[in-house]
Amino acid sequence: MSEEKATDKPAQESLSAGPFGQFLLEHGIPSTRLADSCGVETIELEEKHLEGAMKRFRNSAEVALDLLIAVSGVDSPETFDSVYHLWSYSNSNELVVKVRVPKSSVAAGQLPTVTSLTPFWSAANWHERESYDLVGIRYVGHPYLRRILNPWDWEGHPLRRDYKQVVDALNDKNPHSFR
Amino acid sequence: MAPEKIEALTSTRLKTDEMIINMGPQHPATHGVLRLLLTLDGEFVKHVEPVVGHLHRAQEWQGQNRTWFQYQALIDRVDYLSGMFTSWAMARAAEKVDGCQVPLRGEYMRVIVSEMNRITSHLLWLGTYGIDLGAMFGFPFYPFREREKLLDLLEAISGQRMMFNYIRIGGVQSEAPPGWFAKVSEFVKEFPDRVDEYEAILTNNPIFIKRTKGVGILKKQLALDYGVTGPSLRASGVPLDLRKTKPYSVYDRLKFEVPIHEGDGDTFDRYVLRVKEMRESNEILRQCLEQIPGGTADELRERRKACNSCGKADCSNCGGDLMIMAKKQNAGLRIKAGEGFDAIESPRGILGCYIISTGGDTAYRFKWRNPSFCNLAALPDLLIDHPIADIMAIFGSIDVILPDVDR
Repeated sequence: MSEEKATDKPAQESLSAGPFGQFLLEHGIPSTRLADSCGVETIELEEKHLEGAMKRFRNSAEVALDLLIAVSGVDSPETFDSVYHLWSYSNSNELVVKVRVPKSSVAAGQLPTVTSLTPFWSAANWHERESYDLVGIRYVGHPYLRRILNPWDWEGHPLRRDYKQVVDALNDKNPHSFR
Repeated sequence: MAPEKIEALTSTRLKTDEMIINMGPQHPATHGVLRLLLTLDGEFVKHVEPVVGHLHRAQEWQGQNRTWFQYQALIDRVDYLSGMFTSWAMARAAEKVDGCQVPLRGEYMRVIVSEMNRITSHLLWLGTYGIDLGAMFGFPFYPFREREKLLDLLEAISGQRMMFNYIRIGGVQSEAPPGWFAKVSEFVKEFPDRVDEYEAILTNNPIFIKRTKGVGILKKQLALDYGVTGPSLRASGVPLDLRKTKPYSVYDRLKFEVPIHEGDGDTFDRYVLRVKEMRESNEILRQCLEQIPGGTADELRERRKACNSCGKADCSNCGGDLMIMAKKQNAGLRIKAGEGFDAIESPRGILGCYIISTGGDTAYRFKWRNPSFCNLAALPDLLIDHPIADIMAIFGSIDVILPDVDR
């Protein structure tokens, strides 16, 4: 097993806004450009700007990022990330949007919260349920935020780095257990 | 009987209760374990809630807790009917992050085995779809006959019938065995006739048409909204096929059509489209066999006798385009730090893989974007107001494979 190191270096301030960052600036939405992921523009948005930015990406005819490929929850060392991969049906535009919730801002026993994208894409429904189930990000405004891959009464979020598997029949060391 | 009592029994104001029925998870037509919570009004579906996750094997967790080398062998299980594609998606994403170039012959081998795999996947769909519609007897064996031939060929090249582990990071695992290419060309020649046979049974079959025409219409707007991809989307008239729109690998060197159906996108259209796709895949196979650098494996072996299969990178018989693997793999395989997403067109739609690597021998985060997962999300809207008997006809037609949903 490898050492768990920081996934990426602190965002370099020197990166100037890419085409999609410019597009957002024209509409008055600030974004931070991160290092490209394999040649695809990657931007970081503040949680409060997510809804407005996504609405413009989806509905503008010139950008037309109207295909939500995936929503991935990532448990990074310092933050909980919600990563959106956006594609276009009509052209070859690609964009990666990240929303990062610092772990320090999440109260103990609470889940990090991100705005849900279900008003713009029905596709976001199941993706966000999966991200909630496995990484434990609460999507505010989701119509039916319920576990999807794990059983409904499962405890914990398995893809978190600090997740400990609940005792089951296979790893139970207690000889008096009835499991 | 008193007139008011008769009125109460016969009037349209007669109140009926909705009934909740559980379908699955062990229903034989669900191709796995899917549970549908149906709310029925008489015979008609009013609300559906799919309950998935019965086959959840924590594939993403395993990706983060096994080395790259170990995990390669597991990912064929994500979608067991098209294992080549899951391997390919992961290999491409890892190569993208690592910045490694696959030799041309390796790319052609990938396209050949993947298109064969696409045909087997569609053939299995065709056979079982007949069963879903009640053609229990006779018909399923026709597609399965060709599928067996292809699986034998894939077994000959990879060593496994369905869990191939053939496409690896950096290329493909091995050169084809003697006589393999000849057998594939033989198959390519006879396959169009076989497709004619299936079509002779189904396409103009009045029972089949009655069961499928106008049933389960997937409107274009709904498909776009749900992120439905693959043949189900193209049957609704959206020309999204990554092989054409974002050509990866060597697809830009091949001449093929992407079949698109400009109909309403009902169940019958999806059937027609998949049959057309099989013919196109066959055409791609034929071109690949002609274009592959170095020719067949037998020819290449003859050529390599001159240099005694030296395997040097600058040898005109062994190196360059004629290699099948860019870098030699061993158990300590590492991928450079970085993150990347890559997607390919699998038989069910866009199959993507999102990798975050920290440079270690395991991934930091491994995320699958499975076409079945996204396509299945649109199912509830397709089933509304259809009778129970149509549920399996519609569900079968979007070609969902449950291990791919649950991973």
